Amino acid sequence: MAAAVRRVLWLSGVSGAARARPGAQTLRLICTSTAVQNRSHIPGPPVYTQDFIKEQTEEFNLGKRHLANMMGEDPETFTQEDIDDPKELFPSKSVCQWGEDGRPFHFLFYTGSQSYYSLLHEIYAKLLRIQKYEDEMRAQGSFPGTGNELKLIGSRWLIKEELEEMLLDKLSDQDYSLCIRLLERLVASPCSGIEEEYMAKFRRGYVVQVQRFMNEPLQYDEQGVAFSTGEGKRKTARATVIVYDNGSGKITVNGVHYIHYFPILQDREQLMFPAQFLDRLGKLDMVCTVSGGGRSSQAGAIRLAIARALTSFSTKNEVECMRQAGLLTSDPRLKERKKPGQEGARRKFTWKKR
Amino acid sequence: ITARICLNGIVNQDVQIAEEKPRAIFRTSESNPANHTEQHDCQHYSIPLEEVKVIFPHGLPRRFKEQIETFKEACLMVRKPAVELFGYLKSTNFAQPAIRYVLYGESGTGKTMTLCHAVHYCAKQGWLVLHIPDAHLLVKNCKQLLQSSYKTERIDQPLQASAWLKNFRTSNEHLLREIKTQQKYTWNKWDSTEEGRPLVEMVEQGITRMKTATDVVGAVLKELKRQCSLGSFKLLVAVDGVNAFWGKTTLRKRDKTLVSPEELALVHNLRKMVMNDWSGGAIVTTICQTGSVFKPRLAYLPHELLGDEGFSALEPFVPIQVPKYSEKEFESCYQYYLDRKWLQHEKARTPDGRAELLFLSGANPAQLERLAAML
Repeated sequence: MAAAVRRVLWLSGVSGAARARPGAQTLRLICTSTAVQNRSHIPGPPVYTQDFIKEQTEEFNLGKRHLANMMGEDPETFTQEDIDDPKELFPSKSVCQWGEDGRPFHFLFYTGSQSYYSLLHEIYAKLLRIQKYEDEMRAQGSFPGTGNELKLIGSRWLIKEELEEMLLDKLSDQDYSLCIRLLERLVASPCSGIEEEYMAKFRRGYVVQVQRFMNEPLQYDEQGVAFSTGEGKRKTARATVIVYDNGSGKITVNGVHYIHYFPILQDREQLMFPAQFLDRLGKLDMVCTVSGGGRSSQAGAIRLAIARALTSFSTKNEVECMRQAGLLTSDPRLKERKKPGQEGARRKFTWKKR
Repeated sequence: ITARICLNGIVNQDVQIAEEKPRAIFRTSESNPANHTEQHDCQHYSIPLEEVKVIFPHGLPRRFKEQIETFKEACLMVRKPAVELFGYLKSTNFAQPAIRYVLYGESGTGKTMTLCHAVHYCAKQGWLVLHIPDAHLLVKNCKQLLQSSYKTERIDQPLQASAWLKNFRTSNEHLLREIKTQQKYTWNKWDSTEEGRPLVEMVEQGITRMKTATDVVGAVLKELKRQCSLGSFKLLVAVDGVNAFWGKTTLRKRDKTLVSPEELALVHNLRKMVMNDWSGGAIVTTICQTGSVFKPRLAYLPHELLGDEGFSALEPFVPIQVPKYSEKEFESCYQYYLDRKWLQHEKARTPDGRAELLFLSGANPAQLERLAAML
């Protein structure tokens, strides 16, 4: 910049010698524009030394070879195009929806969520097809059976996020529920078997959780009666239970009959739950020892222990059912700590305005 | 809380023997307890409501009274302890001193009901029934305590005494008219009862003049004891909660010192009644933890509840245990509730519901009754 200014001056100087006073005045005008000269606080264009540039190039090449190795490509012929994923660069949504004349391709473009409404149209078309098929069947005289509900077991409808992913459209909760209702209506009609593959697109199967099957083998005591032990806990109570087969529904807790140990109905209901769930209410004898906690947590601990002991007596399906009923899960809730500045764990001191 | 396992194909079927027979198996038409034998075991018999008003002005458990009002009938189950007791009562030798029978058992198993059954039996037979509904009421929650005029160190309870006398008169009116006093009693400066007057007069005297009620009770008991040995009538002393007579009370005197049971005049006289130094009748008692003071909840054996003093005082006695419901008794009670449409829950009719009831009540009659009331 300074060099350019100097050049201007020099040029003017050459011409200024031949000319009269007006040229000298022009010189002065250009010289007095100081605003351009004092710009040291603004950083200029980044200036790199040649060595620095060479270093960076080498590092870049090295990095490129590393990346090629990691991606499994040939390091020699590795270019930027191999790294770029066309899908990320060009997400399907960003495909141009209208042609050269500005007219959109899809007839529902102006609804705002064209894929969603077109889906609704499709489903309705399927529904009409099913009804037409049903009418034809009835006209022929054969009444349709109900064989459709079976395939609904073990699968669930898409959740809202999955549907959004499928349609690449934002949905609201009402839109989603409307779609699901329409699908349910489709399923409810008797001849919906003909549209099975279409509906399968909207169903996802449940992932069967393979939990660790607590498979302790049954032990046998002197008389040949099968028994098994279980341990359970709830809050601070710890319980161990020995369940004997071929019993009459007698339960002893810490040497005391369960009616006397648990005079409250709620606790006895807790004891009853595991055996009743497996339909073995009057068939098992139990001997329990429990310590710690209060009345309710002792009952909960014994319930968990009984359920765990009963896994040895039951089949895998029964154990899975118990797990889903929540009998085999230990209750993680504990007493929450009291915090300073508060009266309890959550309760604050009475707020006084002044 | 019943949950069905959808993948479980095993169906358990409890074979109920009673369900195959007609439902009336749990009822019997024999309303005279004298004819109840083992054949009628586990069956309900009903007492006509007029008899209930006469024989049981007091003495029935509160919940049973409510049940009578709801069902419009008073149905009692014939159980083995009652039948056993009747066997003993039928074979009593009235020349011998009165035998004491103590009904004991866990709380809620039906001791008071068995006692009421015995009272009904004796009333039907024409005995004079001295029924003290709950002796624990005498030793706790007493509002008015008067110093006795008869013996200064004793304490009177006018309210309890007069209430009891009223009920006593209702149940035994016809017999009391016939029994005559054998001694003159002077209650105070203005009142006295001559010799030879019917006992009813004395009783009425006690009811009207509350201050003398306790003394009247003492006098009545003395007369009855004396005359019973002569054999003109048979006396049944039925006390519920006899362990209240020995033990502690929750009452305090004016100077805040504890009252011991001997100092209460009523208790003193009743203790004399329960002694086996008279003949011509029987003494049937129950020991009860439910209303007792300062006794552990799970105690039910005679020695635990009576204490050393009471045990030695009551000794020798015939203990009769009243157990929980057996299978048959439970079935009978269950069918009775179903018949009366007391169990409204639809699951209650199923075998599963029955098993649930059995487990949750633990075959305890009181627990079963409370459970059934909730359904």
